[in-house]
Amino acid sequence: MTIPRLLMLTLLLIMVPTAQAHHVLGRPAYSLNEDSNTPPAMQIETQVGAYFVTFMAYPAFPKPGEPGRVNFYASRIDSGVSFSGPVTFTVRDDGLLIDSAPETLGQQMPDDGVYRQNYQFHQAGDYLVRAQFESDGEPYTVDFPLRIGDPAPIGPIGLAVALVALLLLSVNLSQRKRLARLKTQRHNAGRA
Amino acid sequence: MAWPIAELEATAAICSVAPAAATTETMVHPGLPIAWAAVAMLMMIGLSLPVLRGSPGNASRSDGDHMLSLTALPMIGPALHEALRRPWLLLTLRILTAALFLLLIAAGLFGSPIPERNLATVLTWTFWWTGIVIAVLLLGSAWCAICPWDALAAWLVRRRLWRRGAPHTSLNLRYPSWLRNQWPALSMLAGLTWLELGVGVTTSPYATALLGLAMVVMATTSMALFERKGFCQYVCPIGRTLGAYSTTVPVAVRPIDPLVCADCKTLECYHGTDQIEPCPTHLVIGRTDVNQFCTSCGACVQSCPSHNVSWGVRPVANEAMHHTRGHWDGAWFMVGLVALTSFHGLTMLPEWEQWMRHSARWIGDSGQLLWTFSLGMALSLVLIAGTFVVTIRLTQRLGPRQADFKPLFNNLALAVLPLAFAYHIAHNLSHMLRESHGTWAVFVNPFGRGTLPLSTTERHALMTLPIPEQLLFTLQAGLIVLGLGLAVRILGARARKIGLDRGVSRVPTTTFLLGVSGMNLWLLTQPMIMRM
Ligand code: SF4
Ligand code: SF4
Repeated sequence: MTIPRLLMLTLLLIMVPTAQAHHVLGRPAYSLNEDSNTPPAMQIETQVGAYFVTFMAYPAFPKPGEPGRVNFYASRIDSGVSFSGPVTFTVRDDGLLIDSAPETLGQQMPDDGVYRQNYQFHQAGDYLVRAQFESDGEPYTVDFPLRIGDPAPIGPIGLAVALVALLLLSVNLSQRKRLARLKTQRHNAGRA
Repeated sequence: MAWPIAELEATAAICSVAPAAATTETMVHPGLPIAWAAVAMLMMIGLSLPVLRGSPGNASRSDGDHMLSLTALPMIGPALHEALRRPWLLLTLRILTAALFLLLIAAGLFGSPIPERNLATVLTWTFWWTGIVIAVLLLGSAWCAICPWDALAAWLVRRRLWRRGAPHTSLNLRYPSWLRNQWPALSMLAGLTWLELGVGVTTSPYATALLGLAMVVMATTSMALFERKGFCQYVCPIGRTLGAYSTTVPVAVRPIDPLVCADCKTLECYHGTDQIEPCPTHLVIGRTDVNQFCTSCGACVQSCPSHNVSWGVRPVANEAMHHTRGHWDGAWFMVGLVALTSFHGLTMLPEWEQWMRHSARWIGDSGQLLWTFSLGMALSLVLIAGTFVVTIRLTQRLGPRQADFKPLFNNLALAVLPLAFAYHIAHNLSHMLRESHGTWAVFVNPFGRGTLPLSTTERHALMTLPIPEQLLFTLQAGLIVLGLGLAVRILGARARKIGLDRGVSRVPTTTFLLGVSGMNLWLLTQPMIMRM
């Protein structure tokens, strides 16, 4: 390839229109609305089937015993038209090694395109809020994590400490045994 | 009666949100202007012409002939060498980084989940992750000398602060032969990229702390079971990445007088002494020009009875050009590095997002679209690595008759290393400079207690560049050009080594190098999402 052609190709390559802002789907993001006195919110955006969905939790850091609310919004990816049928909200405990049955929070209709579901949790923990609806005969299920209260950090630390302690103890015991065996062998060899 | 998990409240709405507001604004950094990229591209084409003409690469030369030892520095040289010969300086630094690391884990587990307000995410992803790659440029693999998870593992297993541990504290097994290569580190690096870009640990202080804990557990397990530091040599993705990059930088631990090492019979640097640990990665530093696996731990500096080992400055990229041994696994690690760094940039394109959305719909993925991301990541890596394989096949055709694929691949893979290094720094530089403004507050309030998410005004303030934007662009474009320049020099030297003397046989690799550099340059012209 000649140098001028290579240059042309390069210039074409770098003249592609620049990118616009985009969102990271499925990840919780915390936001603050400066224009109102609302508390910070936790928001997750994702897509499921033919719909783009947004989930917002108020407040961003809900505490046990305090009222909170989730807002849910779904619009078709192809046309942008908001979903307007009923949405059922359920919740289940999502803690490690917990297998709880889901409980229904309620069924909502949209108010100005947004489904609002109030809640109040009794206990701190990790929960999974599920929004279910039906569109074009297809059932849709969207899960969102919701943490109530502070996380339980002792879990990972405890696990790490237990793993390391167990390992070091086993190595120590095994090496002691090996040293004792060697000592006996040497002692026996010396006597023979 | 069982308590219900939650109950409905007939409270009035706490607040109301219109659908239009239900979309968060993602902050993006402006990219390199097109004009800058065009000038850089022209310079790169100019730089690669000599190698295409079949100009011979530099003849092989030993580091020792061109080494400038730290001890030769006027005034501070001997003092610094003396300080490094004693354990206190490094030990103090290790204690400091370990303390900071433990604080970071505590902040991640107990602190605010808002990433920009928590020390765990800010220190790890804005400063450390960005800073260590830049530090390699100036200090080689110095990070490993003060690595906190390695220090914690050593203290836990050897139960000594710095002295050589008793032999019975570890099982001292040999690393299994199937693990004695770079594949574990490459898999770990790919896993880390998946966690960073797919799962998004960069935005979760909790996940960041878990990652830190996992590193401690892995390093400790390896040290308790295996001899020396197999984790550093074969598994750690950070150490191996820094090790690979450090083959192109001038700063390294080297012998002061190679003749002293040539005559040495006792090899304390390799075996250690009563007090000092042996070389953790099995190096006889006085008899090798390969520092790729040196963790800059300083043990050889302290154990050498002739005081003949020190930090020093050697010719740029000399190791990669002439001394790094071309192994199959090591070569794949380098190709993996270039693929992973470019993939980083690729995920920030709007086309990537659209591709993710379409593919997710097609395969029925939802939530975090992790299946779609994993598929996209695998395809992108295969595409970049596959292009390199095709490049080597073409070289095989154009090169001397009956040239084997593996030696070509192993040697020419070294040439791609500076491309990964240069793009890694150029990309991270923008993140660090644009996102560090005002984040120092986390050092005062590491747990982020009582803080709120950043407001839009604060986000804009955060993105204030501490240097003129034009300077940042110059640095970014300059780095990419420098990377290509080094890559071409390495290509010249390696090509000569394997008999690719005709210019035409170098065309495929040169085109690959220019293609990757051009792609990286173009990625830099794109607006980039803020990391947090
Ligand atoms: S190789 Fe990894 S574990 Fe070892 S010292 Fe370097 S960063 Fe730490
Ligand atoms: S002992 Fe010396 S050669 Fe070995 S890793 Fe440490 S600093 Fe590098």
